[in-house]
Amino acid sequence: MVKTADKIEEEIAAIFSGDQPWVTIVWDDPVNLMTYVTYVLMELFGYSKAKANEIMLKIHNEGKAVVSTGSREEMEHDVARLHEFGLWATLQRGDQI
Amino acid sequence: MSNTEGFRRHGNNSYIAEFSQSEREILINLTEQIIELLAERVDHGHDDPLAAMVGITSHDSPPEDEVLHRLLPNAYADEVDAAEFRRYTESTLRNKKQAHAMAMRMYLKSAEDNIVDLDHDLANAWLGALNDIRLAVGVRLNVGVKTNEDLEILAPDDPLSAVYTVYTWLGWLQETLVLALMDDATIS
Repeated sequence: MVKTADKIEEEIAAIFSGDQPWVTIVWDDPVNLMTYVTYVLMELFGYSKAKANEIMLKIHNEGKAVVSTGSREEMEHDVARLHEFGLWATLQRGDQI
Repeated sequence: MSNTEGFRRHGNNSYIAEFSQSEREILINLTEQIIELLAERVDHGHDDPLAAMVGITSHDSPPEDEVLHRLLPNAYADEVDAAEFRRYTESTLRNKKQAHAMAMRMYLKSAEDNIVDLDHDLANAWLGALNDIRLAVGVRLNVGVKTNEDLEILAPDDPLSAVYTVYTWLGWLQETLVLALMDDATIS
């Protein structure tokens, strides 16, 4: 867990460097089970069942949802893990959603 | 086809299902098809042996086969970024997917009493493999374009009708395993 002060410093640094954080997006898929998507989000990101379920419903209802935010390297890692479990994921700059 | 009651949780780290002989054989067959399909996507010997050694592949475009494309999707909308990412990561992803299917196949091969008892890690490998199988079958059935209603009214002599029966059974089986695992997750 990143300490709040570190997090704030990071955000300020990002503002001054013009460096927008990256995001991992999961897209709706007609095959993947809703319960499975919730479970994978809990397993990979440590989200509570309620939080994972909320994100899953957003994916289902809106076609996509942001599942994690961070550096480009971190998001590449997240996308690779989601692909391993068959979720349809991509990463992109956070300011381009 | 449903002799099994699906997966249920026993104690802290045990997920048990009992299959019929034919269900077990179908699952073995499907894992073998996934393993073979992924093996078709061979790397055409990278020129640079060092690159080959660290897992950099010669692939920078997505597979033409629709199923392989779904199993090994692009990580970026941008084609240049997607190609770059694929070159460095696709072989690792393929190996992981094959490892899931191989773990499932190996377990089923040795489970001569048709009883399966998975720990958490093995259950996750099974989920990954089951999901890859469902993605593959789902693409072939055109799930998403065709509705469940379309697929349910297929003529009994249509070969896809049998495939759809297997597809729905796999979805049900996967769901019982997910629910058994989530039961666990709620407690911890």
